[in-house]
Amino acid sequence: MRVLGWRAVVVFALLAALPLVPGMSRYYLLLAFDALLFGAIAMSLDLLMGYTGLVSFGHAAFYGLGAYATAILLERGVQSVWACLAFAVVVVGLYALVVAYFATARRGIYFALLTLIFAEVVYTFFRYTQTFGGSDGIQGLPDATILPGVPLDTPLKKYYLVFVYLLAAYAVCRVVVASHFGRVLVAIRENEDRARFLGYNVARYKMGACMISAILTGIGGGIYPMRSAFATPDLMLWTESGEFIISVMIGGLGTLVGPVVGGVFFTLLRDKVSSFVDWYFIVIGLVLVVIVLFMPRGLLGYRKVLGFSQWRASG
Amino acid sequence: MILEVDAVSKRFGALAALTRVSFAVAPGQVFSVIGPNGAGKSTLFNVVAGHYTPEAGRVHFDGDDVTGVPPERLNRRGLAKTFQITNVFPEISVADNVRVAAQSRAPESGRLASLWRRTEVDHLTRPLLEAFGLAGRREALARDLSHGEQRYLEICLALATAPKLLLLDEPTAGMTPGETREATALIRAIALERGLTVLLIEHDMSVVMGISDRVAVLHFGEKIAEGTPEQIRNDPKVIDAYLGGADD
Amino acid sequence: MDYLVGVLLPQLLHGLVFGAALGLLALGLTVIFGLLGVMNFAHGELYMLGAYAGIAVIGVTHSFWVALIAAPILVGVVAAVTEMATLRPIYRREPLYGLILTFGLALVFREGARQIWGGDMRRILPPVTGSTPLLGMTYPNYRLFLLAASSILLLALWLFFTRTRAGIVVRAAVQDAQMLDGLGVNVRRVFTLTFAASGALAALAGLLLAPIFTVYPQMGVEMILLAFIVVILGGMGSMGGSVIAAFVIGIAQSLFSLWMNPQRVAIAIFGIMILVLIVRPRGFLGREGVLE
Repeated sequence: MRVLGWRAVVVFALLAALPLVPGMSRYYLLLAFDALLFGAIAMSLDLLMGYTGLVSFGHAAFYGLGAYATAILLERGVQSVWACLAFAVVVVGLYALVVAYFATARRGIYFALLTLIFAEVVYTFFRYTQTFGGSDGIQGLPDATILPGVPLDTPLKKYYLVFVYLLAAYAVCRVVVASHFGRVLVAIRENEDRARFLGYNVARYKMGACMISAILTGIGGGIYPMRSAFATPDLMLWTESGEFIISVMIGGLGTLVGPVVGGVFFTLLRDKVSSFVDWYFIVIGLVLVVIVLFMPRGLLGYRKVLGFSQWRASG
Repeated sequence: MILEVDAVSKRFGALAALTRVSFAVAPGQVFSVIGPNGAGKSTLFNVVAGHYTPEAGRVHFDGDDVTGVPPERLNRRGLAKTFQITNVFPEISVADNVRVAAQSRAPESGRLASLWRRTEVDHLTRPLLEAFGLAGRREALARDLSHGEQRYLEICLALATAPKLLLLDEPTAGMTPGETREATALIRAIALERGLTVLLIEHDMSVVMGISDRVAVLHFGEKIAEGTPEQIRNDPKVIDAYLGGADD
Repeated sequence: MDYLVGVLLPQLLHGLVFGAALGLLALGLTVIFGLLGVMNFAHGELYMLGAYAGIAVIGVTHSFWVALIAAPILVGVVAAVTEMATLRPIYRREPLYGLILTFGLALVFREGARQIWGGDMRRILPPVTGSTPLLGMTYPNYRLFLLAASSILLLALWLFFTRTRAGIVVRAAVQDAQMLDGLGVNVRRVFTLTFAASGALAALAGLLLAPIFTVYPQMGVEMILLAFIVVILGGMGSMGGSVIAAFVIGIAQSLFSLWMNPQRVAIAIFGIMILVLIVRPRGFLGREGVLE
């Protein structure tokens, strides 16, 4: 089964070669790290939003929890990348299980509201619990190690970590989207009642989609402290969730690739505009409104890949 | 009897939508339920299909008590339903519409393996699409189909789940007379060919008389008559219900 | 006994007032969701704008009472314009777009308010001061006024929805929006008016509560989260359920604040919601069936 078409191979090859570009300073490498991480998370959100039709206003909680999971282990001297990410998967998985259980029981609107409410509670918990550092979070973390004694200490190594993550997440998403399961997700998005009358236990499929998306995002969150050396409650703010959503919308719902592009685009934009921090949120809000009104398919939407045809096409 | 509706009553607040409605459908029959607007036909369907739970009475399907069993489980037992208002998957192709319906019976459906297995169901979908004349439209988006084609697609979706009993809720609603004749003949033919039992709600008398083996008449939530089409046509109570001021 | 009267009772009354405000917001959300099919994420911002509009009007007229009339009207106009310009085009689309759009609007309103009026806390002085002995405690006069005002408001709304033709139609349409088509009403105008009215009511609530709480751009966020919890608790699409749940949450919030710090209160309220969802997934008065 061909998971990566030639176009994807080309893109990933280019991304792998990115650090070799002359002028790739430490700053730009870390920026590329941020862009790819954001893009990967936006892509996993697309699984939920674009393919299943469920808007998650609390995705930042999956992200932030993953970060705290890693941070907690790193703080205690457990530096293995594998241990940290495994722990992140467990923590985020459990949380996602609880959220998904309640949020997928009824109509889609419940999902939007409950993910938001849950995320707010998680944020409040971490912001005001001193054990986890309160509003400062957990700071001053050591580097993670890929093998005992081999730390990921240079921007180059960190970049390749997130590159591998993006590659793996992309492969997973592609497989799921093209599978039996993925088809049902689209059916649920298109007409939930009809899917039910065809014999599908819709709630269970929604839960599955939510868990996959959440865990992928949680792994991304788990990677974050390996670059930043901290984890703060702000990672779980609903504004962060809004940024994920905007990345998906910019790139194009239901395209997987679009949100990656959207995430990259948004990260670069944010980097340039960060000096205008004052107007930042107004711009985000306006962009969301404008996209919904005038460009609902996003940048890549014109490719019209909302159907199943992509599992036969390449890339 | 493949379907037994036993003294089913359903209320919505103060409104008694169904009052002690009973009838039975034999395997292979085409059984129609008719009645003026508001008679409770759709409510009856929704109770049979598991969408509503009745306050009183039971529904037996294929020997099992299925009262209140949710729609997805009922479908797996062999009961398929079409909707009165066309209810397909609009933004995907006709072929994909039927594929997702057909694949629900695949062995990996509902299991972990479905996360990575792709299910080949074209051998199931192709004959269905051809039977309903949709083979040429297989790549068109469902929302781009004509009204009549969408109604056919509805039926295809239901049939793709290999049911024993097919509930058709006003299948010819909105069709031209020509389309209606065609649809009627098609439904009869497919039912015969697959040994299906069909339970039909209809408004159009010609459809009902043309294909039904038995007819039940509902009026204000109660069954007022049941019999062969001939018996119903001549039943004074039925004539009275339709002509006696009830809107049509 | 002293504790009961001196501490518990006033807090209960606070809870009633807060619950009434929550009820106004939740009612607005429910009506808009039932009628327009959109969950208005920006509703908390309309509440917040009511307080700021009040500040602006008071700045010009120096009268709280004038502001009480003018501010809701101003916000109602803003809501109407917003509905016509941004919501109307997307009614026919998938519901996901409405969510994202109102989320974006919320951001614009919130940060816009911060740009215009600054991010610091502002105060609106209560128009009536002093307190009155009541049932063995002394209760601030402004809060008494609030109790009266919210009772009147709720009564007026109840009368509107049960005794007037317009109200009955809206109530029925909340249950089943398609029925409007058959009635020969100008659906677009109904939508705009309803949205504007709900915005005005939210603004009124915001202004009325402003002298008790401080005014700051984020004030709508906490209210909307609670309003969402209320809507879920009451049962999606149930107007009566929203009001009942609003009072439950309002009183719970008020009483819990006596014994816990604000963060624990939030988690406790959340816990109540989870408990109810486990025991009765459809909420207090929600409709049966998973499909609602």
